This record gives sequence, structure tokens and C-alpha cells, in this order.
Amino acid sequence: MSERKQVLLGLMVVFLAAVTAPWMSWSAEQGLPEEAQTCLGCHGERGLAFTFQNGERLDVYIDGTKFKASMHQSLACSACHAEFSAQAHPERSFRSREQYSAKASTVCRQCHSDDQLKKSPVHATLMAKENKAPVCTGCHNPHTVTSIAGSRTFVSETEHCLRCHQHAMGITLRNGDKVSLKVDAAALAGSVHAKLGCFDCHFGFSSSQHPKRNFNTPRDFSIAQAEACRRCHFDKYTKTLESIHYAILSQGNLKAPVCTDCHGSHTVVQARADKLKSSKRCGRCHQEIFKTYTESVHGTALVQEHNTDVPICADCHTAHSIQGAHTQDYRDKVPEICGQCHGNATLMKKYGLSPGEVNSYLQDFHGVTLKLYRGQKNGDETAASRKAIATCVDCHGIHDITKTTGPTTNLVKSRLMKRCQKCHPGATDDFPDAWLSHYEPSLRNAPLVYLINLTYKVFIPFMLIGLILQILLHVWRYAVNR
Amino acid sequence: MASTPQRQIKRFGFGRIVEHQANALAFIMLVITGLSQRFHEYAVSHWIIKTLGGVDDVRIIHRWSGVLFITLIAAHIAVGVFGVIKKRWPASMMVNMNDFQNAMENMRYYFGITNHPALCDRYDYKQKFEYWGVIAGGFLMIATGLILWFPVDVARLLPGELIPAAKAAHSNEALLAFLVIVTWHIYNSIFSPEVFPLDTAIFTGNISRERMVHEHPRELARLENLPVEEIVKHHHAAPADKGSRTGEGA
Repeated sequence: MSERKQVLLGLMVVFLAAVTAPWMSWSAEQGLPEEAQTCLGCHGERGLAFTFQNGERLDVYIDGTKFKASMHQSLACSACHAEFSAQAHPERSFRSREQYSAKASTVCRQCHSDDQLKKSPVHATLMAKENKAPVCTGCHNPHTVTSIAGSRTFVSETEHCLRCHQHAMGITLRNGDKVSLKVDAAALAGSVHAKLGCFDCHFGFSSSQHPKRNFNTPRDFSIAQAEACRRCHFDKYTKTLESIHYAILSQGNLKAPVCTDCHGSHTVVQARADKLKSSKRCGRCHQEIFKTYTESVHGTALVQEHNTDVPICADCHTAHSIQGAHTQDYRDKVPEICGQCHGNATLMKKYGLSPGEVNSYLQDFHGVTLKLYRGQKNGDETAASRKAIATCVDCHGIHDITKTTGPTTNLVKSRLMKRCQKCHPGATDDFPDAWLSHYEPSLRNAPLVYLINLTYKVFIPFMLIGLILQILLHVWRYAVNR
Repeated sequence: MASTPQRQIKRFGFGRIVEHQANALAFIMLVITGLSQRFHEYAVSHWIIKTLGGVDDVRIIHRWSGVLFITLIAAHIAVGVFGVIKKRWPASMMVNMNDFQNAMENMRYYFGITNHPALCDRYDYKQKFEYWGVIAGGFLMIATGLILWFPVDVARLLPGELIPAAKAAHSNEALLAFLVIVTWHIYNSIFSPEVFPLDTAIFTGNISRERMVHEHPRELARLENLPVEEIVKHHHAAPADKGSRTGEGA
């Protein structure tokens, strides 16, 4: 029997099946060619598999429902599987899955001519490759294939792309670097973008468009591709425009991080979901600082105890609008930054710390000066001319923040001394005592300050009430005398 | 009484008038630049500081106003001591037993127990209270102000805790001084019914004889060489009649 005849026979079976369909029992196979129903009798059960000579196994289960929804639903199985029929089921043998697929692809060409196929750019690209003839079934599952009409060619864009991109594949960039184009399907499904289609980020591509592109370097590609993120994350994108990373990128330093460097691409996750991972990401470039941080009181707790109360890089430096940390403006923000946690009473109680410590700084001479400096920023642009005010980090450390109790007490004290001398040259050992070390004045700590405040607290109202009573008496007497 | 022309009596010389005006200027500058720092939470403080050119400039103004105040107080003491010793000025600002008696008398007068106020000398006890308040408070402000101005040098000789203590004292004393001035001094020199709308003595140097009779009869008696009872006799006769009416009410 020639192949053409087989197709005709198949079509006849389909016709018969279509006619008899209404009388068929309710099942997945209902409405399918009789022959297909017969085949599905066995192949509709899960677990059937074919073993190739090289040991590879091919699952021969066919999902009846999906097949029925496919473009090929009207075809009898034997239309493609020529040697098989409701009666014949020859024993066959293939070296490997690859050999079988290649052979199977020739069956497709019976209906789908090369000229027709080449109209699709994806196909054209693939068919242009000399050494490797494309295998239709590599992308299109013949048993589930749907109509192009209505863009429902495939179950989803992602599935469409992954047919190829889930396999090891890559391109060679102009500088000779090889870049993998393989996408980890499982990671993609686990990412926060699982519900997005590939084309949402990869502009210019679609189920019918697959433009040929190339880049000089992998970095060029990453930087160009990161532009895609702003379509949805415009708020974050505008923030990055103010960042130091963007500034150095626009100066031509391509090492500056773009979205995907911190968030990943197909594996994109919420950057803050894992605090340790997030800080490590910064550490990829800022290695020295990251090392210092991991030895600090905050970093140790994060790395060793997985404590998520502690600040990570992004908590102080922010994530997107990262400022240069050496600017006056950023320095001025330090008490505010520390205060995010150290002003939080519940959080501080958990660690036996006082939430009033930030405020004790802010109410002191330096804190007030800093606040006033910040307040007059608009009127006075010459911020450089003003003095640098001592803030939290000057005594407590920046990335190497230490405990103020225990063995590091003296370290903090020496930092304090040094910081005092920076603005107050000639400050002697007693001078740092002028700073009450965050203590609220009391009879135990700074009793002199406490007693002076207490005296005035009593004396001012006493004096004032006395004088006002005098005035009232005077007025009253005058009124009576008139 | 308003119909007859008032006889004016010389009360202050040019030096005292200039001194008061200069002190008022220093005080106002110190209060504006100082309290705006103490009450830094308030928007008006921010406005003041911004208007004066920022907190650094505010502090410079504050310190130079302080220097003016120190100079004035030093000059005042020098002139006062020199005058009392060399020129035999009467030490009229010295507090004596009369002041306490006058205070008690005035209390009795206020409550309607007596029908005339205390018979005071050149400076009454209220004025002395204010004067010595300025002197004592001024010394405290100068001392603590200098500690805050030169903290490093202070800490070289004295414990460091003195610096925050000085800040507490300076800032509290400033508030006290400010409140006393805006209530007591402003009342006595502007709003008091006896001087309203303004006690002009410190601007013109003159005071009416009528006010002298009422407020400084002992000095007037000395000036006119009359017994003090003679000075106040006519003056107190009229209110005494009305006083009996209020006596009924009390």
C-alpha cells in the first residue's frame, strides 16, 4: 500500500468515525477515528514505553483528550504511523531516539512541504543549518499540535520557546564568547515570572517571529536585555536612574550592575526573600566590604544564626536608588538609617537594647546640628563648607559595626576619642565624657546634668507662677482702687 | 491730675540709657539665636535659623552677642564699683531689710489690709529682684556659655561631664530669663496700668513727679527735703476713701 493510499484510507476512516461519533460511548476517545480509538485502547494507558537499542526509552502514552483537541484529531494513527493499523502492530527496532525522530520527521513532510515551512522564520533559521536537519517533533508534539489560526498553535508561548530552549544550545557572540541559550524550565516555573510569556521580556520575538540578533559581548546582551524590566517595573527603573550604579554604567563602566545581575533572569526571585543571598549578591562585586560585614555584629548574626532582623546591604544603602556612600547627603542620613531599627522599641527589646539611643543622639548637640544642617539644605547649597558632624558610624563602625559591650568596648571608645579629635583638635582623655554615651541623665549617670535639669523643672514654673500671681494681684488692686 | 502739667524729674543719665538699650539688643539677639536652637523642633525655629543664614551663622551671631553682653556686664560692674567707691554714689541697688518690709507691705496693700502701697526708695524691691536676677543669671550664662564655647580647654582641666551640665544650665537659665523678661519686665514697663502704654523713663531719662510720689516716695522725699509722710499724704488721701468701700466688700 502506497503512502498516499494510506492517507486516503485514513481520511475515509475519519469520515466514518465522524458519522458514527454520535452513537459512540462517552469517553475521551469519543469522536476520534475508529482506528485511533483502537490504538488508544492500549496507548491511552500510562506506563507504556518503547526501548531503543541504546537503552533510551520513549513514553508511548498518548493523551486522548489532547489528541482530540489537536489539529491532527481527524487523522487515523496509520496516516503517520504507516506500518500500523487496527490489525497490524509490527515489532520494530531503532538505534536511538534521535534516529527515530529524524525518521518520523519525514512523515510530516508528506503534508507540510519545505517551502511552506520555510515561511516561518524559526523554521527558516533551523533549516538553514547544514549539518543538522531540524526534527519537527523536537518542537511540535504531533499528538497535541493545534491550529496556527487564532495564535493557538501551542499551549503557551513558554512551551513554544522551551521546545528548543530547554535543550543545550547556544550562540557564539562577535567576540567569540559562547553563550548558552538553554533555559532551565524548572527554575523558570519556580520564578516570580512563571506566569509571564517569553515575549513579555524578549521583545521582537513571537511564535512567528524569531529575529536573528547578535551582540559583541555577553555583557552587551545583559545590559540590553535588562532594559526589558522597566516595562513593568517602571518605578524601580526610575529609582535606578538616580543610583550610583547607573551613573557609573552611563560613564561607560559596563561592570556596573543592571537588574538581572542582582535579580537573575529566568530564575528571577524577590531579591529580599533570602537576606543572606541578597547580601551575597552585593558581595560578588564588593568583596572586601562583604567580608568586613560578615564579621560585624549584624553580619555574624545573619551568616551564623540566619537572623533576619539584622540589616543587610540593601537596608542601609537601599536597593535601587543606591547612593554613593561617601556623599555628605548620605552621611547625613545615617542616624535616620540606623533609627529604622534602633528606634523600633519592640525590635530593640528583643535584643536587650534601648530604643531611646537614636533619640539621645538626635536631641544632643550634634544630632540637632545635623538636623538643622539638613533642614537648611535648600537654602544653603554650599554643603561642603559646613562641618562634618559625627554620626553613629563614627564610633560604632560602618561595615564593621561592633557591640558596645564586651571585648569591643574599648574599640568603640577609641573610635569616639579619635572622632572627637577630628573636629576638636587637642581634645584630651576627659573630653569624650562630654558625650553621655546615649545615657539619659539620672542620679547614676551624669548626676550633675540630671540635678540641674530637675532644679529648673521645679524652679521655672515656681518662679513664673509667683510672678504671674504678683501681676494679677497688682492688676486686681488697681481695678479695685479705681 | 492730668490737667496740671507734670513736673518731670531726672531719673537716668545718658550712660544708663545707652547701657539699657545695648543690653536689650544683646538680650534679644541672644534669645533669638539661642532659643531657636533649644526649641529646634518648631517650624518657627527653623525659619529663624534659615533666615539668619543657617545654624553655623546663628551660632556666630550668638557668640558675638554673648561677647557684647559680657562687655556690658563687665563695664557695668567696673563703673558701678568705681562710682560707689570713688564718687560716693549711693549703693541704691543693694538689697536691705527695707526691701523685705516693702514686699510685705505691698502684699498687705494688695489684699486690702492697708490702704497705701509700700513706700519705696530709688529702686523698689521688684526692680532690685530683676536687677540681681540679671546679674546672677548673667554670670551663670557667661560661665556656662564660655564652657560651651571652649569645651576642649574646659575638659583639659575639669571633668568632661561639666560640658553637658553647662549646656543644661545654659539652656534652662536662658528659658527662665526669657520667661521672666516677657512676663515680669514687659508687664512692669508696658502693660502695668501705672505706666501703660510705655514706661518712657529709660528712653527719656525722666519720670513724672506723680509717679515718683507713687513709686519712689522715699527718694522724692530726699530730693525735696521733706518727710516721706508729707510726700504721700495728698496722694493717698483720695484712694483711702474708696478703700473703705472695698473694705466693705472684703
